[in-house]
Amino acid sequence: MKHIVRTLILLLTATTISAQVEIDGFVQSLYSGRTDKSNPTSTEYPASESRLQLRLEDIGDNGEMFARLDFLYDGADSSQYVFELREAYLKFRLGSNLDFKLGRQILTWGTGDLLFINDLFTKDYRSFFIGRDDQYLKAPQDAIRTEYYSPIGSFDFVWTPRFEGNRLPTGERLSYYNPSTGQIVGTGLGEQFLFDPIPPKAAFKNSEIAARFSRQLAGFNSSLYFYHGFYKNPLGARIVDSVPIPLYPRLNAYGFSLRGAVFSGVLWIEGGFFDSRDDRSGDNPLMPNSSIIGLIGFERQVATNLTANIQWQADAILDYDRYKTGQMQTSAFVRDEIRHLLTTRITKLLLDENLNLSSFLFYSPTDEDIYLRLSTSYKYSDEITIAAGGNIFDGNSQATEFGQFQKNDNLWTKATYNF
Amino acid sequence: MRLLKTILLAALFSLFLSGFAQGEDATEIMKKSHLAYYYAGDDGVAEVTMTLINKKGKERKKVFTMLRLDLEEGGRQMYYTYFRKPSDVSRTTFMVHKTPDGNDKRWIYIPSIDLIKQISADDKNSSFVGSDFSYEDVSGRHWSEDDHTIVGDTTYNDRAVYLIESIPKRKIKGIARKLSYIDKENFLPLMEEYFDKKGKMVRVFRADKIETIDGLLTISVRSIENLKKRTKTIVSFDSIEYNKGLTKDIFSERYLKNPPRKYLKK
Repeated sequence: MKHIVRTLILLLTATTISAQVEIDGFVQSLYSGRTDKSNPTSTEYPASESRLQLRLEDIGDNGEMFARLDFLYDGADSSQYVFELREAYLKFRLGSNLDFKLGRQILTWGTGDLLFINDLFTKDYRSFFIGRDDQYLKAPQDAIRTEYYSPIGSFDFVWTPRFEGNRLPTGERLSYYNPSTGQIVGTGLGEQFLFDPIPPKAAFKNSEIAARFSRQLAGFNSSLYFYHGFYKNPLGARIVDSVPIPLYPRLNAYGFSLRGAVFSGVLWIEGGFFDSRDDRSGDNPLMPNSSIIGLIGFERQVATNLTANIQWQADAILDYDRYKTGQMQTSAFVRDEIRHLLTTRITKLLLDENLNLSSFLFYSPTDEDIYLRLSTSYKYSDEITIAAGGNIFDGNSQATEFGQFQKNDNLWTKATYNF
Repeated sequence: MRLLKTILLAALFSLFLSGFAQGEDATEIMKKSHLAYYYAGDDGVAEVTMTLINKKGKERKKVFTMLRLDLEEGGRQMYYTYFRKPSDVSRTTFMVHKTPDGNDKRWIYIPSIDLIKQISADDKNSSFVGSDFSYEDVSGRHWSEDDHTIVGDTTYNDRAVYLIESIPKRKIKGIARKLSYIDKENFLPLMEEYFDKKGKMVRVFRADKIETIDGLLTISVRSIENLKKRTKTIVSFDSIEYNKGLTKDIFSERYLKNPPRKYLKK
């Protein structure tokens, strides 16, 4: 706590001295309550927090810097002060074709709307499920990003020395499916259910490389992607004292995407091949098999101030027979060979775009589960926005992607003052 | 006698011809007006404050920098907008590739999630950032989309103006007719009145302040009033510069993510 206060004071002093640094940000409170009393978490509040975000920007003649700092009082579970440096990077250009962005930054690419195939940058699903702003779905990475622009296209290259997996429900505020017990668990049932995967050792060979080549092709923005690193979710395991501990298997991914304007709307197509380097033959039941994923989506304005989109994603497990044999050996859940997922987003703006009503639905006809995100936000003034919404999960099985979160349903309210 | 007849015939004939000329002149005038208003110079950089006033008189301000590049006079254009205020949208960038005879292409970049999103650009009549200005008001409606006729002339704010009536060739929701007050000398639109199919005036555009900047006549303060909703939006150019030498490459995804600092005043 003292450490954080010291940082804040140093920061404010530094910025008042350096008058050219611009500061803006927001103060926000978020409260989220669960609606299912049987949720085996340690707290009834997936979120109960107050946050101060400060954004600092300095633009020089030869480069610029940007920092985004979050000071958070998190009262949901064990109350604590949290400081997160969400972004802190410098940008500069060499010559006229080479751009650099170095430091802690948020990275996004790919074409899907909340569906990620070639975007293998760190995500924060904990924040996503509890009502935090959309920006918190993306977690920052410390990385070196360079972009080279040439007449044939642009090359985008990201090197992340230290891998960080996606932030997933750990059981304290959000429950999850435990394959060992075959049930939905949380820390409310005991500390042993704290989800704690083993990260790869901090070593040069464990760094991540992500690359993209883009160009315009017949009016479509077209890209090719490559990734070398690890699965961002801990889909693998290692047996330690007869207990499987989750870990992040090694991964190479190759993909493509197309996006362009058609039929008065926007169409996108994306595909990827996931090469599971720790189990190329598909024999190891503790490691994921390689897979192929494809996605197609379309968005258009359907009426005044009403926009809607739909997406269809299909994900196929390769060497499915070996996967099935492996799962049945341990009486674990067996997923369908191809998982289909449909999504739709509907956004309506009212009152001169000050009132925003939005819904996003994920529905898997093969897994038989859904996840519905609802949100209403009202911009009362240039500074003040109030919002409310909910996250609803449901499924026939406790082991599927969304079905496992069926006890995590929550409703939330949020107020923000922007300055 | 024959001379008199000839003169009479000539007079009648020229009157007849001028009737035709009236129709042509109207479209020519609207074309000149469109070019004077939307295509001044080859490019432009403007610092803009947009004030939205709701029916209770409550004000909201949006501050942004807008870059424009003409690819063809009266034809394709590119727009780039860098939002500064309010702070929750600051640093957001927005880009339009305008094609008069087709659908525009639009993109938005949201820095907090490093996301470039291409947005569907079907409706040119939808509101620009929630204001009373539509995309069409901001980037222009091609003169060939309406049938124009000169219905008279008058003075407006001590300026001699043509009164031109425009009827859309293809139906527009809520607007049946527009009456434009076009300055006879410089062809700028000083006022435009929009009427619905019942003949009721539903919105008004006004050129509130005109200045000469870089040798080009500019409407530096303009407003649109929505008479049905009783709201008003005032757009004021805090500064504007022409012919800065903007290039096509600025209007690309690269610059959506990396705003061209050279042209953005601090």
